Amino acid sequence: MTRSLTLLPRSLSFRRPSSARFYSLTTSLALVTPLLAALMAGFLYPVARLVALSFSGGTLSHYRRIFTEPLHLEVLFSTIEVAFIVTVASLLLGFPVAYLMAQLGKGLAMAVTACVFIPLWTSVLIRSYAWVVLLQRNGIINTLLVDTGPTEGPLKLIYTQGAVILAMTHVLMPFMILPIYSTLRALPPDYVRAARNLGAGPVRAFVAVTLPLSLPGVFAGSVMCFVLALGFYITPALVGGPNSMLMATLIGQQTTVLLDWPFAAALSTVLLAVTLLFVLMFRRTLSLSKGLNSVY
Amino acid sequence: MTSLLSRSATALKPTIAGFLSLMALSLPALADEKVIIASTGGAYDKALREAWFDPFTKATGIEVVTVAATNAEMRAKAAAMVKTGNVKWDLYLDGEIQAASKAHREVTEDLTEFCRQFADREDLGANACAAGGVLLQSTATLLAYRTGKPGEPVPATWADMWDTGKFPGERAFPNFDDPWRVMAAALLADGVKRDELFPLDIDRALAKLDQIRPSVSLWWKTGDQSVQGFRNGEYSLGQIWLTRAKAMQSEGLPIAWSYKAAFLVGDRIALVRGAPHRDNALKLMAFWLNSPAAQAKACEALSCTPPSSDAIAMMSEEARKTMPQGDDVRDHIIIPDAEWINANAAMMLQQWNEWIR
Repeated sequence: MTRSLTLLPRSLSFRRPSSARFYSLTTSLALVTPLLAALMAGFLYPVARLVALSFSGGTLSHYRRIFTEPLHLEVLFSTIEVAFIVTVASLLLGFPVAYLMAQLGKGLAMAVTACVFIPLWTSVLIRSYAWVVLLQRNGIINTLLVDTGPTEGPLKLIYTQGAVILAMTHVLMPFMILPIYSTLRALPPDYVRAARNLGAGPVRAFVAVTLPLSLPGVFAGSVMCFVLALGFYITPALVGGPNSMLMATLIGQQTTVLLDWPFAAALSTVLLAVTLLFVLMFRRTLSLSKGLNSVY
Repeated sequence: MTSLLSRSATALKPTIAGFLSLMALSLPALADEKVIIASTGGAYDKALREAWFDPFTKATGIEVVTVAATNAEMRAKAAAMVKTGNVKWDLYLDGEIQAASKAHREVTEDLTEFCRQFADREDLGANACAAGGVLLQSTATLLAYRTGKPGEPVPATWADMWDTGKFPGERAFPNFDDPWRVMAAALLADGVKRDELFPLDIDRALAKLDQIRPSVSLWWKTGDQSVQGFRNGEYSLGQIWLTRAKAMQSEGLPIAWSYKAAFLVGDRIALVRGAPHRDNALKLMAFWLNSPAAQAKACEALSCTPPSSDAIAMMSEEARKTMPQGDDVRDHIIIPDAEWINANAAMMLQQWNEWIR
């Protein structure tokens, strides 16, 4: 039986022949060399130098300092905590948007997509300042609350941990929506139709069919949000208070105020290691659940 | 691994150098007639350009190119330039205290030799030209407050800042990674004498700060936050910069301040080691110290204290009134112990971080 006679629809043949089959080894290598060279010069080399700097003097003293002074570990944990909350919030708010985008007709979907993309193209600085305008004491939200009456006086909204989580969620949401949207979009509508045909209600069809098949997108989006959130600097600096201190704040202090670059490098290396650890953990979880391997 | 990397870097060097020389060729050949200075930009930059850079260009034909960055960025960038041997700036501005630090001295050229020419100038104080840089101007960080009805008591000292019974309302303090000002204010409020302030008793300062913490509604990171917070009524007593308080008063906001609760800190112009236009940079610095008129004009706009007493005499009566006066300086104003602050900067920041979060 030849391939052309196969009864499977195209969208089900998950493993398409990779382009490597069409190019010789030499051509393939020639194609990836520029990218590899750019990565080596622009990423691997500086990171290696950074890691080397953290061991300067041939000692582990900087690392000993990180792990003996409680402040650094506390800030590391609270960074992970904030990143986790932001990821979950982005998922809860972003999934319905992605679902809507996949369901809507062409024109409306374009409008929603624009609403997702335009903030993504706007500078993080501007988006963070916009939150300052909204949340400050005489800001739009407080004015509205006081004028319509639910609160007596203005609430303390800006310079709080809540403001940091809110603004970071806003900044990172497109990174959650887009991967989920692309998996939902690739999902043939026949599956849900088949489920409904077999007697499942709309909720059951969603839970049993759409949701599990969208998980690759969910995981890809979560990894991206989480990793980006771990390194956030500008947004917490603008809308956060003194208690919203993240790892990037500490690294910034060491780099620009104290000029203690070896210690800054050690802090960065720890953050890098934690980030890699989480990415590996995500991958491990994924490979354990069958059918999700296509994420990577 | 490292040797492999450095070998590949060596291999890359000619390529990079080639690219750079191409770029250099495409630039106009003005290299000898300019000087590059990094400053904090905005209104500050504008005032300096009008009072200092433009007259300098007119007098010498040397173009002054400015680069905008925050103080922290400048510090880190200048250090990186010197470490990598790729110096692009000639001069940058840094705080008086930082300019006395070891890290600063490693990045900038020692100006002791250059300063000799100003030694017998009567209008310049002894610190107008120092090894770490030329004094640009001085300004105060002080206690500013919202003015009430006439006849009401007004806060004057740091002890008043802590007295929430007599002076109700929310407080503002800076939190920009340089905590000595806040700690020093706490110690003064706790009864420490001015001349016994340094070395700072950190534990005592933090204990005193615990008392005021519930009343603090704003820990500002940028000067702009302190202004925006006052405009929005977020605080009624705050430790802020005099320049910002003055700007708010000019805007018509009900604000006043006390020189009895003030710290005087200057900004210095530092010469980067290996500066590409070193001679022009020295000329620009000498021009500043030699031109009281330029200093007067810049400080009139920025409400700062110029290094030359001749310049102070040239300023308007109104501007002089908002400058720390002789008696206040003698009896109340704190001039920080830069050496102690620099030696203990890391320890202070560590303790501050632990306290503030």
